[in-house]
Amino acid sequence: MPVFDPADPYKVPAFMPSSADKEPRSFSPDAFAIPTRKIDDWRYTPVERISEFFDVFTPSNRTKVSASFIDGSPLSDGVRFRALDKTQAPVGTVLKPSDRAAAVQWVSTEKAYAVEVTADQPSPILINVEGAGLDLDAVQIAITVAADVHADIVVEHSGVARLAEGIELSTGAHSEVSFTSTQEWAKGSKHVGSHRLHVGEGAHLRHSVVTLGGDVVRLRMDQDFGGPEGNLNMLGIYFVDPGQHMEHRTMVVHNYPECKSRVVYKGALDGKDAHSTWVGNALIQPSAPGTDSYELNRNLVLTPGAIADSEPNLEIENGNIVGAGHASSVGRFDDEELFYLQSRGIPEIEARKLVVRGFFGELVDQIGIAEISDHLMGVIDRRLARGESDEMKLVLEEN
Amino acid sequence: MQHTLEIKDLHAAVETKEGRKEILKGVNLTVHSGETHAIMGPNGSGKSTLAYTLAGHPKYEVESGQALLDGEDLLKMKPDERAKAGLFLAMQYPVEVPGVSMTNFLRTAKTEVDGKAPAIRSWVKDLQGSMKKLRMDPKFAQRSVNEGFSGGEKKRAEVLQLELLKPKFAILDETDSGLDVDALRIVSEGVNRAKEDNDFGILMVTHYTRILRYIKPDIVHVFADGRFIKTGGPELADELEETGYDQYLPEGSDSESALA
Repeated sequence: MPVFDPADPYKVPAFMPSSADKEPRSFSPDAFAIPTRKIDDWRYTPVERISEFFDVFTPSNRTKVSASFIDGSPLSDGVRFRALDKTQAPVGTVLKPSDRAAAVQWVSTEKAYAVEVTADQPSPILINVEGAGLDLDAVQIAITVAADVHADIVVEHSGVARLAEGIELSTGAHSEVSFTSTQEWAKGSKHVGSHRLHVGEGAHLRHSVVTLGGDVVRLRMDQDFGGPEGNLNMLGIYFVDPGQHMEHRTMVVHNYPECKSRVVYKGALDGKDAHSTWVGNALIQPSAPGTDSYELNRNLVLTPGAIADSEPNLEIENGNIVGAGHASSVGRFDDEELFYLQSRGIPEIEARKLVVRGFFGELVDQIGIAEISDHLMGVIDRRLARGESDEMKLVLEEN
Repeated sequence: MQHTLEIKDLHAAVETKEGRKEILKGVNLTVHSGETHAIMGPNGSGKSTLAYTLAGHPKYEVESGQALLDGEDLLKMKPDERAKAGLFLAMQYPVEVPGVSMTNFLRTAKTEVDGKAPAIRSWVKDLQGSMKKLRMDPKFAQRSVNEGFSGGEKKRAEVLQLELLKPKFAILDETDSGLDVDALRIVSEGVNRAKEDNDFGILMVTHYTRILRYIKPDIVHVFADGRFIKTGGPELADELEETGYDQYLPEGSDSESALA
């Protein structure tokens, strides 16, 4: 029997091809069964609430997609935004849909957009996706960043929508890119999305997801590397209100040597039937010696009646790696922390607010875009605020 | 201004797996501003329970009695209201609060206790001055509350809060535990300095007499089996140093109370 040599992983094929490898990838919805709770990828999803996204539909084409710098000024040299046909590159070039909803979105989509960044950008690029009502819609957005370029890109989702969306992001070799997608949908909205990411050789991609609103939001992130020494840092923040379902699935694939990935998702859940799901997959292929990967999910249940599902999955097909770690937790407020703060004169509601700010704080800082961080903390504070004094508001805002 | 803390026939219990257990069995004590009371007793006598019950820890249920601060019953207040009324508990095991910076926490607490935000300039000066006197690295202000602090650093941070929040009465729960000689001196000096500035009354809960060399008590109490059983002057501490707590333990209990 041949012996596996970690220094030469191709000599002997992996004895057990991973379950992730066997998953279908296709632009055709027919490649996937209609989702039910019995299918592993959908076991935590309230499929009955998003069944309209499971069969090809005629889109309203009313969702508004626009782009500017984050301060509202028009884009300038080195970045181009345009509407185009989905058959035109760069649309449709990064990976393939990985579940039925993503394939249905692709086939249904009539409107596609591209953002092409070819030179360093001094301020963040903002892509604004504004819902235009509850008629079903589908869009595809392809973003490319050229080799060696530094850029910050933010996609903001707001308004009322029932939207199926595909985002493709391809980063060039040795580029440094920060990508942030915020979901702040109004009540009644649903959003089923897939992010397909390609990280260039030696490139650094920070991919952040911030989900604060929407009745049902389900985002699936698929990724691969384009060469050795890529660095992927995925961050996620979610705040789930009563009755909402927010689901984030990160699928990290290590297919080249010496790449590093970090996935850190944190969520707070407030109230009855608030439901979050995080599923973090990390697949380390035989072709990826020297992999360093870690994934973490923490959930803070603020009030009784919320449910947080948290599932890390690791598939390691190469023994010659730096690390492949994971951690996951669901907890409620620590009574001792609250008592300590209260014993210093801080009322319970303010103490809770401090603890939640602390829970998210480091991650919010890491997003690294001041406009997003400040806004995000403001939203979280307002969610937690209940009849606080003006004095206290001042102190919290200043800190 | 003269303040009085009056504990009257306090009974408190805790829920355990074996059922409800009464720990405080009729505590009576009066403390005035400027007085330092040492509360000494064997392990498990209920000293710390007294401290936490006064501060309002949810684990301890008051069955009867009162704790009047200038006539207002603390036991009817929430923990934060007790702090605002002028009570401070320096904990034996200060709690870590991840992600909340010391500066943010201290300023929030100061604002709540005073009912108004402190003036920025004098606040920063007070904070830096107190930290310097406690020989705390200025970097601590930016770190999360108690997170990654050593035992000694946590106790210094407690005394820092005592200095800044200026309570009417301070309970020091085993503040000497886990401190080496140098740290004990720095922490004790901090307590003495705060007391000189603000003339608060101190309830100093301790098992050992060591800290009493640095923080001089006016009155020493022996606490055993949930109540005060003997009260005297500083000489009582010397006597305990000699004889230990054996004579105060219930019949038949293990003799493990030798003083260090």
